[in-house]
Amino acid sequence: MSVRASALTRAVSWIFLSAFLAVLYLPLLPPVLTSVSPGGHNPDLSGVTFRWYAELPVNPVLTGSIATSIKVALIVGLVTPPLALLGAMAVRELRLRRLLLLLLLLPLFIPGVSLGLASAFFFSQLGIQPSLWTVGVVNVMWALPFAFLIVLTAMSTFDPIYLEAAYVHGAGRLRAFLNVELPLIWPGVLGSATFSIIISFNETVRTALVQGPLNTVQTYIWSRFLQAGLTPQIYALMSVMILLTLALILGLLLGNLHRGRS
Amino acid sequence: MPRPPELLRYGLLSLPGLFVGTFLLVPAGLTFVISFWERKGFSLHPAFSFASYAAFFSGVRLEVLQISLLLAVIVTLLGLLLAYPVSYFLAYRVRPRTSRTWLFLLSVPFVINPVIRNFALAYILGRTGPVNQMVLALGLTDRPIDWLLFSNFAVVLGLVVSYVPFMIYPLWLSLAGIDRRFVEASWMLGVPPGQTFRKVTLPLSLPGIFAAAIFGFVGTFGESTVPIILGGLGYQLMGNTITSALDVLNYPSAAAMSSVVTISMLVFLLIWYRLFDIRGFMGKIVQT
Repeated sequence: MSVRASALTRAVSWIFLSAFLAVLYLPLLPPVLTSVSPGGHNPDLSGVTFRWYAELPVNPVLTGSIATSIKVALIVGLVTPPLALLGAMAVRELRLRRLLLLLLLLPLFIPGVSLGLASAFFFSQLGIQPSLWTVGVVNVMWALPFAFLIVLTAMSTFDPIYLEAAYVHGAGRLRAFLNVELPLIWPGVLGSATFSIIISFNETVRTALVQGPLNTVQTYIWSRFLQAGLTPQIYALMSVMILLTLALILGLLLGNLHRGRS
Repeated sequence: MPRPPELLRYGLLSLPGLFVGTFLLVPAGLTFVISFWERKGFSLHPAFSFASYAAFFSGVRLEVLQISLLLAVIVTLLGLLLAYPVSYFLAYRVRPRTSRTWLFLLSVPFVINPVIRNFALAYILGRTGPVNQMVLALGLTDRPIDWLLFSNFAVVLGLVVSYVPFMIYPLWLSLAGIDRRFVEASWMLGVPPGQTFRKVTLPLSLPGIFAAAIFGFVGTFGESTVPIILGGLGYQLMGNTITSALDVLNYPSAAAMSSVVTISMLVFLLIWYRLFDIRGFMGKIVQT
């Protein structure tokens, strides 16, 4: 009896979990289906066309926004992981670590509008014009807590006794870190870089408030939607974003698998 | 007196904290200050005026605040009801390897831009969308259901779907971190499973519940795109009310509303900080 009951709960649990996953994943389908539909406004599988994609590179505002997105991704991908790494080391080595932990996780808890607005006020009061750098700062801020958590997780599997061993053998702090710890937590650092780029690639509200005349792909999509609603080209662009994000995640996953094997 | 290399080390280690302090705490403080400033024409003038707050708390926007609060509470509760069983199942009922895969699968949709996901949701719920087509095909109604889109229902659904993935991770983290021996002890003392859950597991997972609630609440309370996409024309929550104040260049008003949101969030965060040890909650990833 009890075996059957537990089998039943198990089945219900799996069904619940699968339904949950379906609800999260299904919304990824319609934009992709729409983007290859001849009509371009609804998923319509009577034919497949790539003409909406072909129209993307023609639009100079859009290509400009793609260039901006790539530059921002580079800034975020290069700046965030070292900051996250330093933060994780600070939490391990400095006093007031609880407070420091809270401070570095704080950007997670500030709503996007409030962070964007506060940054916009801050830059304008200092007389700093909106630029790639203001967008970069806001995106690094948003990506930092995620990168920080990833690096922390990676560091938690590292036993500091290895550092002690390096010190005993006469290595300085820097050398011990570079030669012993960094290679061991490197996958975590790479993961934090990829994740930061994904985060910044999918950011809209914070960026929109500090970008000035610039546009990223996301803010371009959002402003087009506010002005004219969704067009076939926008669906194509959204599909590119979805597929690119999934590809980045897949790359991350394969990299981890590969490393796990070797 | 620390030697120069030590100074450099402390300098480097304090960089992340300085970064957040300079580009988050100072701007948030500045926003609070600006909320007391006055607006003359299109420019800002330093002042100490409560005009923005008075306008906010006496006007129609107070209603926006109330609705936003109510929706945030509803979405947070719904999110917890959905996320807790999932996290519990992943923490206790599947092998660690499998649970990592599931956690990963659950977090992938979250990194896809919520704006794009909500556009898709708007299509799914629309008059000609798949849900209505299915309902019509099954003959459940003879006309498309109107309240699916541009309604409270759509906004709540959109907010729950947007923020639930955010809530699973802290819940799972605290549930997986519970020492199993407590549960086993309760079991050996003959306490039935339901009571063990209520008296042992649930209280021990409170830090995670609280953290998840903060994520859900803060995200929902300040959300500015979901009400526009799924609420339709004129649907106002705090987030898009702030952006529409910006559109008419009413900076002090936007600053005041943003401060209300930020301060309410800080209050929750402080309660969390006072009640629970974050290190205990993150025991798995922070060495103490």
